[in-house]
Amino acid sequence: MARWRDRRRQRAVVKTQVAKNKNQPSVDQVTGGKIPKSFVFARGKLPAPLKQLELDLRKLMLPYTALKLKEKKRNNLKDFLNVAGPMGVTHFLMISNPKSIPYLRVARTPQGPTLTFQIKEYALAADIAKSQPKYRCTPELFKNSPLIVLSGFGGGGQHLKLTTIMFQNIFPAIDINTVKLSSCQRIVLLNYNAEERLIDFRHYSIRLQPVGVSKRIRRIVQTHQVPDLRNLQDVSEFLTKAGYGSESEGDDEAATVSLATDVDRVNKASNKSAVRLQEIGPRLTLRLVKVEEGLCSGNVIFDEFDTSSVFSVEKETYKEAAEDSEKEASEDEPVDSAED
Amino acid sequence: MASEMDTIATTSTQSMPKTLKRKSKLKGKKPGKKLKGPRNSAMAEARKRKKPSKRMLQMFSKRAKRYDSDSDSDEEDEREGRDGEDERDDGLSGSEGEGEGEGEEHGGITRFSEGCRAFKVAFLKIMKKNLPNDPLGPILAAHKKLVVAKLAEEEEEHKTKGHARKKKQLVEEKGHVKPESYLDAKEKLLIGIATKGVVRLFNAVSKAQNPQKELNPSTSKDAKALAKQRKQTFLSELKKQSAPSVDEESNELGWAPLRDSYMLGSKLKDWDKMADTAVGGDDGEQYMQSSSDEE
Repeated sequence: MARWRDRRRQRAVVKTQVAKNKNQPSVDQVTGGKIPKSFVFARGKLPAPLKQLELDLRKLMLPYTALKLKEKKRNNLKDFLNVAGPMGVTHFLMISNPKSIPYLRVARTPQGPTLTFQIKEYALAADIAKSQPKYRCTPELFKNSPLIVLSGFGGGGQHLKLTTIMFQNIFPAIDINTVKLSSCQRIVLLNYNAEERLIDFRHYSIRLQPVGVSKRIRRIVQTHQVPDLRNLQDVSEFLTKAGYGSESEGDDEAATVSLATDVDRVNKASNKSAVRLQEIGPRLTLRLVKVEEGLCSGNVIFDEFDTSSVFSVEKETYKEAAEDSEKEASEDEPVDSAED
Repeated sequence: MASEMDTIATTSTQSMPKTLKRKSKLKGKKPGKKLKGPRNSAMAEARKRKKPSKRMLQMFSKRAKRYDSDSDSDEEDEREGRDGEDERDDGLSGSEGEGEGEGEEHGGITRFSEGCRAFKVAFLKIMKKNLPNDPLGPILAAHKKLVVAKLAEEEEEHKTKGHARKKKQLVEEKGHVKPESYLDAKEKLLIGIATKGVVRLFNAVSKAQNPQKELNPSTSKDAKALAKQRKQTFLSELKKQSAPSVDEESNELGWAPLRDSYMLGSKLKDWDKMADTAVGGDDGEQYMQSSSDEE
């Protein structure tokens, strides 16, 4: 009885999101694939900075996430699972703080694998905004989902491959034939550092600047501010004055693209533009700690701290490792050795 | 003030002279000093100057020793002589005793007027005393040591609580790193990697989208040519060999979708059997199964 009442209450709580998601298609018209949606929530009580991190992550996952997801203390994972089914939510991002160590779990519903990352360091979006002189973050940035770039994951084992697949599937796919460049405004970078086995997670906003246009002219066009011509004799002086180029223009050589379409008023098609990234959003340093087969349950496929259960497709090496561990009389891991 | 009180006293004594007389008769201890009617105030004032007898003094000293304003039993004994004192606050402590003691000295029976006067004296004394500007407010208790001890206790409590709070805050902020400089070497590296990724994507997009402009997509012949071109560019983009990542020793490519072993190596080989898939494509097989289920 209490359970039913809880569910009813939770349904009532979830109503706000249903209204929001009505306008969102569940199937991408372009690619024909299912658009992945996510829930970002907390498990257990979180201290204030971690709560802020949870909100930042929700913003990051926009638009295909519930921004105002209301979670109550009594909601367990099962409640979220029950709601996720009808709403087409495919991924869960869970933040927890057991024994004052923050963890981030990325899981695929309904029975998908769960990756557990330990958050070694994090910086909130607000901190990054403070540290930058020119912080620019508009709500329009969050109307489209971000691109994802993974680097450094090549040489690692299967667990790293699983990580890449998982993260690629969290964000909806883009079709290069039909994508509009103006809709690619954000990018998420995951960089794997093999020596330290840490993953750097960064979130940037993309800005295109036309190359070859002097700074002053660009400023007029973009900001519509009338320049100060007090000290000049002639307008031509203003246009041709040799100004110091910005420091980063040298780097832009590698970053110039020739655009396919008009992105906005300034960046026109088949003109060279430079890609400039500015960091927004949270910064995380993660370490992959555990991979489980089920949704926070099931066999532990990979465990960072237990070398005897290294995930390996080749059965032989796995069996050897298992035998070694038995010889050493270390902990037994409940791993399914009869994998196909 | 005093005159008013006296007048009140006179009126009240006038209103109830009989009861007082009766009580004076009941009490055998009292000397034969009777107060009759309107002469009360005058007589009271006259009596003040006279000193009480030795016997009376002894009685008074005994009473003073026994006196305890908090206990009720003593009050009942002395209530007969202290009608006026009912109005007084019981909250006032030792100084009041002095006032009452003073009132007692002036006669065995403390009349209402004397009670008022005594109250007045006591009150004035308290008001004179409380000159120090204590932040805690007027301390009427004479035991200042106790007060000091209590204050010390409270401060200690605050200190320990403060320590606990600080510790808790430290634990909460664990792992939270506030970036002092927003662009140091490592961050520049990461931005560079991300920029390269974006540049490659945009170049791929421009290559895929630009040739379409030459051909008219409506004509069927051109449509076939278009599709062919698309396939070719798509394949070429996928098989591009370049490593934007830092890790240049890896045999596999940096950006996942551009690897042949993308999606555990099984899906991409069948891509031409499926419809045009996207760059960061989904688990297409599963989707198709589920779609057939839905239909």
